[in-house]
Amino acid sequence: MTTTAPATGAPVIETHGLRKVYRGRKGTHVAVADLDLLVPAGGVHGFLGPNGSGKTTTIRMLLGLARPTSGSMRLFGEEVPARLPAVIGRVGAVVESPKFSPNLTGRQNLRLLSRSIGVPDERVERAVATVGLTGREKDRYKGYSLGMKQRLAIAATLLKDPALLILDEPTNGLDPAGIREVRDTITGLGEQGVTVLLSSHILAEVQQVCSSATIVGRGRLLASGRVEDLLGAVTRHRVTLTPGTHEAGTHEAGTHEAARSAAGVLTSAGLPCEVQDDGSLLVTAEDPTIVTRTLGEAGTWLASLAPVKRDLEDLFLEVTAGQGPGMDMPPDWSGAEQGGAAR
Amino acid sequence: MNGSWLPLLRAEVDRLRWRRAVLLLVLGAVVVTAFTFTVTAWDTRPVSDEEVAEVRQTTYVVSEIDQCTAHPRRYLGPRARGLDADEAARTCEELVLGWYSGRPTLDVASELGNGFIACTVFVVLLLLLMGATFAGHDWSTGSMSNQLLYETRRTRVWLAKALVVGVAGLVVSAVLLGALWGGLLLLASSRDLPVPDAVVADGWAQVARTAVAAALATLLGFALAMLFRSTVATIAVLFALAVSTGGLVAAAGLFSESSRWDPVTNIAALVEGSASYYVDEGLDRECYTSYGEVRGRLPGCDPERTVGAVQGGLYTGLGVVVVGAASVLVHRRRDV
Repeated sequence: MTTTAPATGAPVIETHGLRKVYRGRKGTHVAVADLDLLVPAGGVHGFLGPNGSGKTTTIRMLLGLARPTSGSMRLFGEEVPARLPAVIGRVGAVVESPKFSPNLTGRQNLRLLSRSIGVPDERVERAVATVGLTGREKDRYKGYSLGMKQRLAIAATLLKDPALLILDEPTNGLDPAGIREVRDTITGLGEQGVTVLLSSHILAEVQQVCSSATIVGRGRLLASGRVEDLLGAVTRHRVTLTPGTHEAGTHEAGTHEAARSAAGVLTSAGLPCEVQDDGSLLVTAEDPTIVTRTLGEAGTWLASLAPVKRDLEDLFLEVTAGQGPGMDMPPDWSGAEQGGAAR
Repeated sequence: MNGSWLPLLRAEVDRLRWRRAVLLLVLGAVVVTAFTFTVTAWDTRPVSDEEVAEVRQTTYVVSEIDQCTAHPRRYLGPRARGLDADEAARTCEELVLGWYSGRPTLDVASELGNGFIACTVFVVLLLLLMGATFAGHDWSTGSMSNQLLYETRRTRVWLAKALVVGVAGLVVSAVLLGALWGGLLLLASSRDLPVPDAVVADGWAQVARTAVAAALATLLGFALAMLFRSTVATIAVLFALAVSTGGLVAAAGLFSESSRWDPVTNIAALVEGSASYYVDEGLDRECYTSYGEVRGRLPGCDPERTVGAVQGGLYTGLGVVVVGAASVLVHRRRDV
């Protein structure tokens, strides 16, 4: 597990030993396993994990939609779900796909929510304008595209003027322009001091907007901390060999043979490496001089050695290796994260 | 969040009135009520002069009127007492012409037990569906989870919805059945048919009791739909219960008095003021003939029993409270 120092600020979300076990006729399934989650105030926090890793279940428990089997949770320092009514007014959330009444208009759906908490109707108009639905708010929800439904769901979160925004895959179904708009909205909210917990599969996007991230797999915490710290935790280098310089290889034997031979040398020296399709080597080493010295001593000269900067996708794949979707789930648990059996 | 119930209730009222299925069901109840009134008014419309003239020309009608006038007690029964010859002749003519013109005179007292009850059954069933679809729609669309992100106190959400839909059931049924009863009274008045004060009061009391029954039915539909999270499942369960309740009650060991605990008996008692049922077991030995038949006329052997409105109301109300309590408890604890 990779854990780095979190960003400064009092935590807005805290979970300790959070656990959720679903029991069914075909056995039990642990959706969340003793998860310790810490989301500091301010900024955008990515919440990443493969399908079935417990992200949505965790979010649903935080919002009182699902009951934890054990463990504790806090929002704004308040114990939830016991004190959830006291803090829910500061929390906006989109969980899974947007869910509204299909025969009502977008505006009617928002008004039902705003009126239930005593928010004036003017805020509905403002939220509609913020997400760019002005002109379409009088249309029935069932006629909306998926992107418009997502926008409406985001508009609904803005009715509360939230200090914490929990967004579960908010860009699902959006076109590139819509994705950029949502990304800009999220970034803007983060800059305004709103804490955003962003659960997403689009890792490049998360990397663009998130200041910190948590990666979970099979309901367990795999990595957490500032994005720059997480990405800098392991350094890799791409090595290109000079053709014909290796003692065991010739130019004619081909670059790949030379690379494989060099890889054997590096591996024997305790430096993990992989031969890439283009004949280069990807070597994991904290200090690049060890690579040059090891290969030099073996009579292999380097044409180039460049540090490889990891992105979130590399890190994600690295820490979630073997944490694929539903690895040990019984068949009837495939929909557990989506809120149970279809109705 | 806001501690007041008012915003939540207001939102639920909007949710109810904006729901198309609810409006259609209420419209259905209006149509059923209007249809009942129209059919009653048409079937009991006064015989026109042309019709009377036509019928009066028929030989056997003239003969029947003459027979009645000559022997009024034979035809009119106790009503013949105190009538002078002219009154008896007029009454006989109305009676016989009524028979042969094929239309009865409007009798609002008997309508309470006929057309009014039929209308009541339809209205109550439609309102039960209204309660079920009000809750079922929230689950089928998934909007319940969205609502709970704004008001997390689930008991409060349940109660606010129940209050709104229950009051709606009460008001809709009271207005419709009140209009039906008031319409029948006006119709009788317009036809110069006297209605005793006791019948008028009975009718209004029945409207009030029916409105209570309708509100309970609406709440039952709502509570079951919240429990099963589906309108279709609720209807299926209610259908299964309707089919099997009699057998279940009997199987529960309540043998000789099983009808006492039959929901139909109790709901009928609530609506009509009282309902009778019969026992064929558990009477004294001397109440039975050697063939096992009940000697009903012997003292203490009458097999007929009566359930009053209060008893029926308590039974029905308690049933709804039990289902409602289960529904609230499950709603409080269940993952959404």
